[in-house]
Amino acid sequence: MKAATGERFRAMGCDIVVAGGDPATVAAVLERWEAAFSLFRPESELSRVNASPARVLGVSSLFTRALEVALDMVAETEGLVDPTLCGRWHEVVLSGRLLSRPPGLALDLNGVVKALAVDEAAATLDGPGFVSVGGDLAVRGPVDVALPAGGAIRVVSGGLATSGTASRGAHLVDTATGRASESCWEQVTASGATCLDADVAAKAGFLLGERGPEWLETRGIPGRFVGRDGEIVENGAWHYATEAVPACT
Amino acid sequence: MKESSRIERARRRARTAKVSLGALTALVFGVAFVGAKTHAPGHNKGKAQPLGAPSSFERAVRRSALQGGQIAPPAQPPAVSSSTS
Repeated sequence: MKAATGERFRAMGCDIVVAGGDPATVAAVLERWEAAFSLFRPESELSRVNASPARVLGVSSLFTRALEVALDMVAETEGLVDPTLCGRWHEVVLSGRLLSRPPGLALDLNGVVKALAVDEAAATLDGPGFVSVGGDLAVRGPVDVALPAGGAIRVVSGGLATSGTASRGAHLVDTATGRASESCWEQVTASGATCLDADVAAKAGFLLGERGPEWLETRGIPGRFVGRDGEIVENGAWHYATEAVPACT
Repeated sequence: MKESSRIERARRRARTAKVSLGALTALVFGVAFVGAKTHAPGHNKGKAQPLGAPSSFERAVRRSALQGGQIAPPAQPPAVSSSTS
Protein backbone atom coordinates (compact mmCIF):
# COMPACT_ATOMS: atom_id res chain seq x y z
CA MET A 1 0.00 0.00 0.00
CA LYS A 2 1.33 3.40 -0.90
CA ALA A 3 1.95 5.79 1.96
CA ALA A 4 -0.72 8.46 2.18
CA THR A 5 0.56 11.94 1.49
CA GLY A 6 -1.27 14.81 3.03
CA GLU A 7 -2.13 18.42 2.43
CA ARG A 8 -0.34 20.70 4.89
CA PHE A 9 -1.37 24.04 6.34
CA ARG A 10 -1.34 25.94 9.64
CA ALA A 11 -4.21 26.28 12.10
CA MET A 12 -4.67 26.38 15.88
CA GLY A 13 -1.03 27.44 16.09
CA CYS A 14 0.03 24.02 14.77
CA ASP A 15 1.08 22.27 11.59
CA ILE A 16 -1.91 20.44 10.12
CA VAL A 17 -1.71 17.44 7.80
CA VAL A 18 -4.83 16.08 6.13
CA ALA A 19 -5.03 12.99 3.94
CA GLY A 20 -8.17 11.49 2.48
CA GLY A 21 -10.37 14.53 2.84
CA ASP A 22 -10.98 18.13 1.89
CA PRO A 23 -8.46 20.42 3.65
CA ALA A 24 -10.89 23.35 3.45
CA THR A 25 -13.54 21.38 5.32
CA VAL A 26 -11.04 20.34 7.96
CA ALA A 27 -9.80 23.93 8.25
CA ALA A 28 -13.38 25.13 8.79
CA VAL A 29 -13.90 22.59 11.60
CA LEU A 30 -10.65 23.62 13.31
CA GLU A 31 -11.47 27.32 12.96
CA ARG A 32 -14.87 26.76 14.59
CA TRP A 33 -13.20 25.22 17.64
CA GLU A 34 -10.43 27.81 17.78
CA ALA A 35 -12.89 30.69 17.50
CA ALA A 36 -14.78 29.36 20.52
CA PHE A 37 -11.92 28.26 22.76
CA SER A 38 -8.74 30.18 21.97
CA LEU A 39 -7.41 32.00 25.02
CA PHE A 40 -5.46 34.24 22.63
CA ARG A 41 -8.66 35.66 21.16
CA PRO A 42 -10.42 38.07 23.52
CA GLU A 43 -13.67 37.60 21.58
CA SER A 44 -13.68 33.79 21.95
CA GLU A 45 -16.44 32.35 24.10
CA LEU A 46 -13.91 30.92 26.55
CA SER A 47 -12.19 34.30 26.96
CA ARG A 48 -15.56 35.98 27.54
CA VAL A 49 -16.60 33.35 30.08
CA ASN A 50 -13.32 33.76 31.98
CA ALA A 51 -13.68 37.55 31.96
CA SER A 52 -17.29 37.54 33.16
CA PRO A 53 -17.93 38.50 36.79
CA ALA A 54 -21.23 36.59 36.78
CA ARG A 55 -21.48 33.38 38.78
CA VAL A 56 -23.97 31.75 36.40
CA LEU A 57 -23.69 32.06 32.63
CA GLY A 58 -25.48 30.71 29.59
CA VAL A 59 -23.06 28.99 27.21
CA SER A 60 -23.27 27.59 23.67
CA SER A 61 -23.91 23.94 22.90
CA LEU A 62 -20.30 23.57 21.66
CA PHE A 63 -18.99 25.02 24.92
CA THR A 64 -21.29 22.72 26.89
CA ARG A 65 -20.05 19.69 24.99
CA ALA A 66 -16.37 20.55 25.50
CA LEU A 67 -16.81 21.31 29.19
CA GLU A 68 -18.80 18.11 29.75
CA VAL A 69 -15.98 16.13 28.18
CA ALA A 70 -13.40 18.04 30.24
CA LEU A 71 -15.29 17.28 33.46
CA ASP A 72 -15.61 13.62 32.47
CA MET A 73 -11.89 13.47 31.78
CA VAL A 74 -10.84 15.12 35.02
CA ALA A 75 -12.87 12.50 36.87
CA GLU A 76 -11.47 9.73 34.71
CA THR A 77 -7.88 10.86 35.33
CA GLU A 78 -8.41 11.41 39.06
CA GLY A 79 -7.89 15.16 38.74
CA LEU A 80 -4.79 15.07 36.54
CA VAL A 81 -6.25 16.68 33.39
CA ASP A 82 -8.13 19.52 35.07
CA PRO A 83 -9.95 22.35 33.21
CA THR A 84 -9.33 24.70 36.16
CA LEU A 85 -5.60 23.83 36.34
CA CYS A 86 -5.80 24.25 40.11
CA GLY A 87 -7.82 21.33 41.47
CA ARG A 88 -11.06 23.33 41.81
CA TRP A 89 -12.98 21.47 39.12
CA HIS A 90 -15.56 20.35 41.73
CA GLU A 91 -16.72 23.99 41.84
CA VAL A 92 -17.64 23.97 38.14
CA VAL A 93 -21.22 22.85 37.57
CA LEU A 94 -23.08 22.44 34.29
CA SER A 95 -26.84 22.24 34.25
CA GLY A 96 -28.04 22.03 30.68
CA ARG A 97 -26.49 25.06 29.04
CA LEU A 98 -26.04 26.96 32.27
CA LEU A 99 -22.54 27.13 33.67
CA SER A 100 -21.99 27.91 37.34
CA ARG A 101 -18.55 28.57 38.80
CA PRO A 102 -17.07 31.05 41.25
CA PRO A 103 -16.29 34.33 39.45
CA GLY A 104 -12.58 34.57 38.79
CA LEU A 105 -12.11 30.81 38.47
CA ALA A 106 -10.66 30.65 34.95
CA LEU A 107 -11.19 27.63 32.72
CA ASP A 108 -8.64 26.24 30.28
CA LEU A 109 -10.15 23.66 27.95
CA ASN A 110 -7.03 23.18 25.85
CA GLY A 111 -6.63 19.77 27.48
CA VAL A 112 -9.51 18.43 25.41
CA VAL A 113 -10.39 21.00 22.72
CA LYS A 114 -7.64 20.21 20.23
CA ALA A 115 -8.32 16.48 20.39
CA LEU A 116 -12.09 17.01 20.06
CA ALA A 117 -11.43 19.16 16.99
CA VAL A 118 -9.20 16.45 15.50
CA ASP A 119 -11.86 13.78 16.05
CA GLU A 120 -14.55 15.97 14.48
CA ALA A 121 -12.30 16.84 11.56
CA ALA A 122 -11.47 13.15 10.99
CA ALA A 123 -15.20 12.41 10.82
CA THR A 124 -15.41 14.65 7.75
CA LEU A 125 -12.90 12.58 5.76
CA ASP A 126 -14.28 11.06 2.58
CA GLY A 127 -12.44 7.77 2.94
CA PRO A 128 -9.24 6.26 4.36
CA GLY A 129 -6.87 8.92 5.62
CA PHE A 130 -5.99 10.93 8.69
CA VAL A 131 -6.00 14.35 10.30
CA SER A 132 -2.94 15.42 12.26
CA VAL A 133 -2.94 18.61 14.31
CA GLY A 134 0.49 19.30 15.68
CA GLY A 135 1.26 15.60 15.85
CA ASP A 136 -2.00 14.50 17.52
CA LEU A 137 -3.92 12.48 15.00
CA ALA A 138 -7.07 10.53 14.27
CA VAL A 139 -7.15 7.99 11.47
CA ARG A 140 -9.65 6.34 9.19
CA GLY A 141 -7.92 3.21 8.06
CA PRO A 142 -4.35 2.14 8.86
CA VAL A 143 -1.67 4.87 8.85
CA ASP A 144 2.02 4.49 9.64
CA VAL A 145 3.29 7.12 12.03
CA ALA A 146 6.81 8.14 13.01
CA LEU A 147 7.40 8.33 16.75
CA PRO A 148 9.39 10.68 18.97
CA ALA A 149 13.00 9.60 19.47
CA GLY A 150 12.84 7.29 16.47
CA GLY A 151 10.80 4.33 15.39
CA ALA A 152 7.34 4.03 13.90
CA ILE A 153 4.06 2.21 14.38
CA ARG A 154 0.94 1.56 12.39
CA VAL A 155 -2.19 3.15 13.82
CA VAL A 156 -4.92 0.74 12.73
CA SER A 157 -7.84 2.69 14.17
CA GLY A 158 -8.56 5.49 16.63
CA GLY A 159 -6.01 8.14 17.45
CA LEU A 160 -2.47 8.73 18.58
CA ALA A 161 -1.19 11.64 20.65
CA THR A 162 2.05 12.74 22.23
CA SER A 163 2.43 15.00 25.25
CA GLY A 164 5.54 16.33 26.86
CA THR A 165 8.05 19.09 27.08
CA ALA A 166 9.96 18.59 23.84
CA SER A 167 8.56 21.49 21.83
CA ARG A 168 6.89 23.91 24.26
CA GLY A 169 8.91 23.30 27.41
CA ALA A 170 7.25 22.59 30.75
CA HIS A 171 3.66 23.62 29.99
CA LEU A 172 1.67 20.79 31.55
CA VAL A 173 0.48 21.86 34.98
CA ASP A 174 0.61 19.58 37.99
CA THR A 175 -2.70 20.47 39.65
CA ALA A 176 -1.41 19.25 43.02
CA THR A 177 1.23 21.99 43.09
CA GLY A 178 -0.20 24.48 40.57
CA ARG A 179 3.19 24.59 38.89
CA ALA A 180 4.61 23.15 35.69
CA SER A 181 5.02 19.40 36.00
CA GLU A 182 8.49 18.00 36.62
CA SER A 183 7.87 14.62 35.08
CA CYS A 184 10.60 12.07 34.62
CA TRP A 185 9.42 11.76 31.00
CA GLU A 186 10.21 14.06 28.12
CA GLN A 187 7.49 12.74 25.83
CA VAL A 188 4.65 10.27 26.25
CA THR A 189 2.78 8.81 23.29
CA ALA A 190 -0.52 6.99 23.78
CA SER A 191 -2.93 5.19 21.48
CA GLY A 192 -6.64 5.73 22.08
CA ALA A 193 -9.97 4.72 20.62
CA THR A 194 -10.20 8.39 19.63
CA CYS A 195 -7.72 11.24 19.49
CA LEU A 196 -9.35 12.55 22.67
CA ASP A 197 -8.70 9.31 24.52
CA ALA A 198 -5.13 9.22 23.24
CA ASP A 199 -4.44 12.84 24.15
CA VAL A 200 -5.87 12.59 27.67
CA ALA A 201 -4.05 9.31 28.25
CA ALA A 202 -0.75 10.79 27.05
CA LYS A 203 -1.14 13.82 29.34
CA ALA A 204 -2.07 11.66 32.33
CA GLY A 205 0.83 9.29 31.62
CA PHE A 206 3.21 12.24 31.48
CA LEU A 207 1.91 13.89 34.65
CA LEU A 208 2.00 10.64 36.62
CA GLY A 209 5.74 10.25 36.07
CA GLU A 210 7.01 6.81 37.03
CA ARG A 211 3.45 5.57 37.65
CA GLY A 212 2.46 6.48 34.08
CA PRO A 213 3.21 3.18 32.30
CA GLU A 214 1.32 1.12 34.88
CA TRP A 215 -1.63 3.56 34.98
CA LEU A 216 -2.11 3.22 31.23
CA GLU A 217 -1.51 -0.52 31.34
CA THR A 218 -4.31 -1.10 33.85
CA ARG A 219 -6.68 0.66 31.45
CA GLY A 220 -5.49 -1.32 28.44
CA ILE A 221 -4.05 1.78 26.79
CA PRO A 222 -0.82 1.35 24.81
CA GLY A 223 1.75 3.90 25.96
CA ARG A 224 5.32 4.71 24.98
CA PHE A 225 7.48 6.85 27.26
CA VAL A 226 10.66 8.69 26.29
CA GLY A 227 12.73 9.56 29.34
CA ARG A 228 14.80 12.69 29.78
CA ASP A 229 17.89 10.62 29.18
CA GLY A 230 16.45 9.27 25.92
CA GLU A 231 15.55 5.87 27.33
CA ILE A 232 12.37 4.47 25.80
CA VAL A 233 9.89 2.56 27.96
CA GLU A 234 6.89 0.78 26.46
CA ASN A 235 4.08 -0.55 28.60
CA GLY A 236 2.83 -4.08 28.01
CA ALA A 237 -0.11 -3.05 25.84
CA TRP A 238 2.19 -1.12 23.50
CA HIS A 239 4.89 -3.77 23.46
CA TYR A 240 2.60 -6.68 22.60
CA ALA A 241 0.68 -4.70 19.96
CA THR A 242 3.81 -3.62 18.11
CA GLU A 243 5.92 -6.71 18.56
CA ALA A 244 6.90 -8.04 15.15
CA VAL A 245 5.63 -11.60 14.75
CA PRO A 246 8.24 -13.82 13.10
CA ALA A 247 7.09 -15.24 9.81
CA CYS A 248 6.33 -18.96 9.70
CA THR A 249 9.04 -20.99 8.03
CA MET B 1 -74.86 27.08 106.14
CA LYS B 2 -71.59 25.60 107.24
CA GLU B 3 -72.48 22.29 105.52
CA SER B 4 -73.33 24.22 102.36
CA SER B 5 -70.00 26.06 102.47
CA ARG B 6 -68.05 22.82 102.78
CA ILE B 7 -69.91 21.35 99.82
CA GLU B 8 -69.34 24.54 97.86
CA ARG B 9 -65.56 24.41 98.58
CA ALA B 10 -65.45 20.75 97.57
CA ARG B 11 -67.25 21.56 94.32
CA ARG B 12 -64.77 24.41 93.61
CA ARG B 13 -61.83 22.09 94.22
CA ALA B 14 -63.37 19.48 91.96
CA ARG B 15 -64.01 22.10 89.25
CA THR B 16 -60.43 23.37 89.50
CA ALA B 17 -59.12 19.85 89.33
CA LYS B 18 -61.23 19.08 86.22
CA VAL B 19 -60.13 22.29 84.48
CA SER B 20 -56.48 21.62 85.34
CA LEU B 21 -56.72 18.04 84.16
CA GLY B 22 -58.38 19.20 80.90
CA ALA B 23 -55.72 21.87 80.32
CA LEU B 24 -52.94 19.41 81.04
CA THR B 25 -54.48 16.88 78.65
CA ALA B 26 -54.80 19.53 75.92
CA LEU B 27 -51.20 20.62 76.49
CA VAL B 28 -49.85 17.07 76.33
CA PHE B 29 -51.90 16.40 73.20
CA GLY B 30 -50.62 19.62 71.54
CA VAL B 31 -46.98 18.88 72.33
CA ALA B 32 -47.33 15.29 71.13
CA PHE B 33 -49.11 16.43 67.96
CA VAL B 34 -46.46 18.99 67.03
CA GLY B 35 -43.68 16.56 67.93
CA ALA B 36 -45.17 13.82 65.78
CA LYS B 37 -45.67 16.20 62.84
CA THR B 38 -42.09 17.37 63.12
CA HIS B 39 -40.31 14.08 63.59
CA ALA B 40 -42.57 11.63 61.78
CA PRO B 41 -44.36 13.48 58.98
CA GLY B 42 -47.03 11.56 57.18
CA HIS B 43 -45.74 12.71 53.79
CA ASN B 44 -42.64 14.40 52.32
CA LYS B 45 -43.08 18.16 52.28
CA GLY B 46 -39.95 18.75 50.19
CA LYS B 47 -39.66 18.47 46.41
CA ALA B 48 -39.53 14.88 45.21
CA GLN B 49 -36.03 13.77 44.24
CA PRO B 50 -35.46 11.36 41.33
CA LEU B 51 -34.34 7.92 42.37
CA GLY B 52 -31.86 7.62 39.48
CA ALA B 53 -28.10 8.11 39.72
CA PRO B 54 -26.68 11.66 39.55
CA SER B 55 -26.44 12.99 35.99
CA SER B 56 -22.64 13.29 36.21
CA PHE B 57 -22.44 9.57 36.97
CA GLU B 58 -24.78 8.66 34.12
CA ARG B 59 -22.75 10.84 31.76
CA ALA B 60 -19.51 9.19 32.79
CA VAL B 61 -20.97 5.72 32.31
CA ARG B 62 -22.44 6.65 28.94
CA ARG B 63 -19.13 7.95 27.73
CA SER B 64 -17.33 4.95 29.20
CA ALA B 65 -13.74 5.06 30.33
CA LEU B 66 -10.65 5.95 28.37
CA GLN B 67 -10.18 3.31 25.73
CA GLY B 68 -7.05 2.19 23.97
CA GLY B 69 -6.70 2.31 20.21
CA GLN B 70 -5.46 -0.33 17.81
CA ILE B 71 -1.81 -0.25 16.82
CA ALA B 72 0.48 -2.67 15.00
CA PRO B 73 4.03 -2.88 13.69
CA PRO B 74 4.69 -0.46 10.81
CA ALA B 75 4.40 -1.81 7.28
CA GLN B 76 5.65 1.11 5.22
CA PRO B 77 7.41 4.46 5.56
CA PRO B 78 5.57 6.79 7.96
CA ALA B 79 3.13 9.20 6.36
CA VAL B 80 3.08 11.52 9.35
CA SER B 81 4.76 11.87 12.72
CA SER B 82 3.41 12.13 16.24
CA SER B 83 5.06 14.73 18.39
CA THR B 84 4.37 17.27 21.09
CA SER B 85 2.77 20.44 19.75
